[in-house]
Amino acid sequence: MAALSELRSPRPGPPAVNGVQETGGPDDALVRAAQHGDRAAFGLLYARYSRMVHGILLARVPFSEVDDLVQDVFLQALPRLNTLREISRFPGWLASIARNRAIDFHRRTKPTDEFDEESDSAQSGTHAPFANHSSHSSAEAHAILQAIRSLPDAYREPLILRLVEGMTGPEIAARTGLTHGSVRVTLHRGMQQLREILGRKASPPTGGVL
Amino acid sequence: MTKNPTNPENEKMLNEDYLWDASGTPDLEIQRLESLLSEFRQTDRALVLPAELPAAPRKFHALLIPMLTLPHLAAAAVILLAAGLTLFFFTRPKPAPETGPAWDVANLQGAPQIGTKAIAANQTAAKFRVGQTLVTNNDSRASLSEADLGEIRIDPNSRVRLVQTDANRKRIQLDVGTIHAAIWAPPGTFVVDTPSAVAIDLGCSYTLHVAPDGSGELHTTYGWVGFHLLGRDSFIPAGAMCSTRPEQGPGIPYFEDATPAFREAIVQFDSSVENSTDRSAAIAKMLSEARAHDALSLWHLLFRVNAAERSQVYARFAVLVPPPQGVTRPGILNLDQSMLDLWWNSLGLGEISQWRFWQQSAYPQPPPNTQPLLQEK
Repeated sequence: MAALSELRSPRPGPPAVNGVQETGGPDDALVRAAQHGDRAAFGLLYARYSRMVHGILLARVPFSEVDDLVQDVFLQALPRLNTLREISRFPGWLASIARNRAIDFHRRTKPTDEFDEESDSAQSGTHAPFANHSSHSSAEAHAILQAIRSLPDAYREPLILRLVEGMTGPEIAARTGLTHGSVRVTLHRGMQQLREILGRKASPPTGGVL
Repeated sequence: MTKNPTNPENEKMLNEDYLWDASGTPDLEIQRLESLLSEFRQTDRALVLPAELPAAPRKFHALLIPMLTLPHLAAAAVILLAAGLTLFFFTRPKPAPETGPAWDVANLQGAPQIGTKAIAANQTAAKFRVGQTLVTNNDSRASLSEADLGEIRIDPNSRVRLVQTDANRKRIQLDVGTIHAAIWAPPGTFVVDTPSAVAIDLGCSYTLHVAPDGSGELHTTYGWVGFHLLGRDSFIPAGAMCSTRPEQGPGIPYFEDATPAFREAIVQFDSSVENSTDRSAAIAKMLSEARAHDALSLWHLLFRVNAAERSQVYARFAVLVPPPQGVTRPGILNLDQSMLDLWWNSLGLGEISQWRFWQQSAYPQPPPNTQPLLQEK
């Protein structure tokens, strides 16, 4: 069996709220270096993009599976990096691998294994983060996550990146390769629909949703 | 995104700085959601990598550097010459049926076939070339990938042919079945021909289904897609879908979260004949049911109704999304393209110049002073 090594995110503490880049130079240089086998460069790419990948997966698969699938996505991406000729497309390329990995997960999961976050967490007891929360707040958090997941595909991903992963709109745009306008509109509409679902619509309609 | 300052919803969006970048006055509701959902946030877990990372292939000149002495170079030249001559004489007469640009193809399940050859489950170097057809049965799936394009997954019971692949255009033909496309090529590069419309990627991921009767359905997940047939265009942004029928082309696109009544009215409109009572009823239903979000559908409706109906559509559209500066009622009623483009851009669903650029590349107009090849007598 091949020896394994760990690349830990150099990002200490909670994720940055306003900063787009955590450390280092432009991503193009990192991608180029990683293409040539530079482990540190790949580690930095992991640090910069793992939150995005985590959010994309969390929008689609059970929470208990997400961490392992994040690893899978980066391990799938690694040997294919050399096929990426236009390195500026790395964010969109990586996001596509993550979305396809989520699709694969569901194809390979038996219908009886389909997830129910509430029962999943209650039975497995593997969610260490829950230990720090009251059962009430955890149940509410799961209900909110399920509500986000019930939104159309286009809205749930940016909302999870914003509300769960703590990324800002500009950061989501930079990490996913989408335009600022597109992210702003989907965040806005997604939030509006989430408010409607949660029954806490903050303000009455003012004539336009666009 | 072009924003119309007169749209009250856009004013609201401008005030939603906290949702956008966590600046401005904190929104207590969003802060509470962030706090509750933080338990799902990514933890600082390390990435576990194999010891050996795949390195990029070494360049040929790098392999030659250690040999840079005269005798070595001379020997290398003789060997290369001999190898070149041998290759030339032994390969010249042979036909080369499997050459030219190709995409990678992988077996995801079962036994998908290219022509009569099945793709083995563990086959790593299978190629899909221009002119070849990939077929999946009810138990097989495959994926196509190309470094500069993206990845296309082929569902069971599908038939796909590779039509073109060069720097500017990647084109497949989907005769029947379902594909899931995740594209990172520049907008307008990836094109899918179906029996009832042509789908043009404008930077996105989407699912396209073609039924045995040639009708189709497209659902966009990210970005947007153009659907085109014989001068009829439909734009399908993220969260929307559009149906298409043989000889009619794409219908009116709509957001999948539209009300059931609105969706039924669109289906009724698309299947009705001009000037029929069904059609009038469908238009009236669409206008009464439309939310501002459904301006997507109303914008398309402007092109597909008669002058009297267009006036009604304009009135409702203008209430839901006030026309931006430079857009006038007479202009829209006369289908002025620049005004329609301006109004589309104000919806924030995609920059229409991307579509116009594709149109120009796909259907170039002759220069203004060019004489037509056939002169009318």
